[in-house]
Amino acid sequence: MRYRISSALVACAMLVAAGSAWAHHSPSSIFDMTKKFTLTGTLTEVEWVNPHIAVYIDAKKDGGGVENWKFESAPPSWLRRVGVNSADFRKAIGQTVTVEGNRAKDGSTYGFLQKITFADGNSLEMVSPQLADTH
Amino acid sequence: MAHRYVCAFAAVILLGASVAAQQSASAPATVDARRTADGHPDLSGIWAFSIALPGGALKKVENGSVSYAQVDLSGRMPAKTPVPGALPFTAAPSYKPELQSKVKYLLDHEAKLDKAFFCGKPGVPRIGSPRQIIQLPNEMIFLYEDASGDPYRIIYTDGRPHRADADPTYYGDSIGHWEGNTLVVDSTNFVEDTWFGEGGYFHTPTMHVIERFWKVGDNLAYQITVDDPNVLTEPWTQAPRIVKPSTEPLEESPVCIEDDAHRMDNLDHHLQR
Repeated sequence: MRYRISSALVACAMLVAAGSAWAHHSPSSIFDMTKKFTLTGTLTEVEWVNPHIAVYIDAKKDGGGVENWKFESAPPSWLRRVGVNSADFRKAIGQTVTVEGNRAKDGSTYGFLQKITFADGNSLEMVSPQLADTH
Repeated sequence: MAHRYVCAFAAVILLGASVAAQQSASAPATVDARRTADGHPDLSGIWAFSIALPGGALKKVENGSVSYAQVDLSGRMPAKTPVPGALPFTAAPSYKPELQSKVKYLLDHEAKLDKAFFCGKPGVPRIGSPRQIIQLPNEMIFLYEDASGDPYRIIYTDGRPHRADADPTYYGDSIGHWEGNTLVVDSTNFVEDTWFGEGGYFHTPTMHVIERFWKVGDNLAYQITVDDPNVLTEPWTQAPRIVKPSTEPLEESPVCIEDDAHRMDNLDHHLQR
């Protein structure tokens, strides 16, 4: 597992949390929204389910071996309405991806996905509506 | 932090409701010219998705090109400007004094107690306005998209009474009639394990819901009134919604699998429905 914490991204994480009014729970009730980390590995599975999709990633552990991470993200109905469908994720199964997100507070290999960068350099990222409005 | 956002969100809703309440009651209705052969306003068509979704935006980088997209959530929120033809409304239902502590308890524990957050059917009226309306001479067909499944409702407008033999359901037994240019849908016979709104708005099987639909220009106006004399001191009319027409065809909702409850270490939550 290779991940790093970037304090510079904390503000961004909080903005995204503010925008997550859809959630039946606050992301902070499960994830450490004060710390964002980056993880690189192989995309192994995509669950296109309600109330939020999930992606699974095999990542190398620091001490050797591989562990499987699960990252939850937005609801499929939201992703469809911002122009993303399941194929946009599934086409990358078996490829190397990098995700940025927040780890579950229980220390498990579970995270909240805020950005995914695919092997071809394309990326999808949840940002604040204020940021979108300025573009 | 989460509570601060919830409070800010609620304040926006209450402010909008207050402004609209002062200005909406007696305004003349603007009627769309489209009518069906029997003379009623034509409400048929596809309407904007009106289940709450993330308020955030998506930044997409594709082949070096950057784009942003977000979802129009206006159909789920109280209208920001006065709605012609709307009934007077209040921001929240009035529960009997002895039941207000229960409402607060449910609200405080909503993250774990609200079944709609765990793939449960929202029921009427929490499902909101329909995604598609098919208007026939003696019946209206409402189609919805929802994480719990994709419900439909058939609402007869031929003057028949409520069914006497039906079992209680999440979406109730509905009949409709026209009052001028407004479709009035009257629903009864509900199961009691839904809430009629986020905020711990519980009810009993005696709940009675009236939904009103009318056109404001090209938009669909939608307003609900809920009564349950077992728990409320008076019927509650909610702030009207303005739902825009849509060109997005309905899609089958993916299966709902909730896997978060056991991970929560606090009850923070955000408003959803």
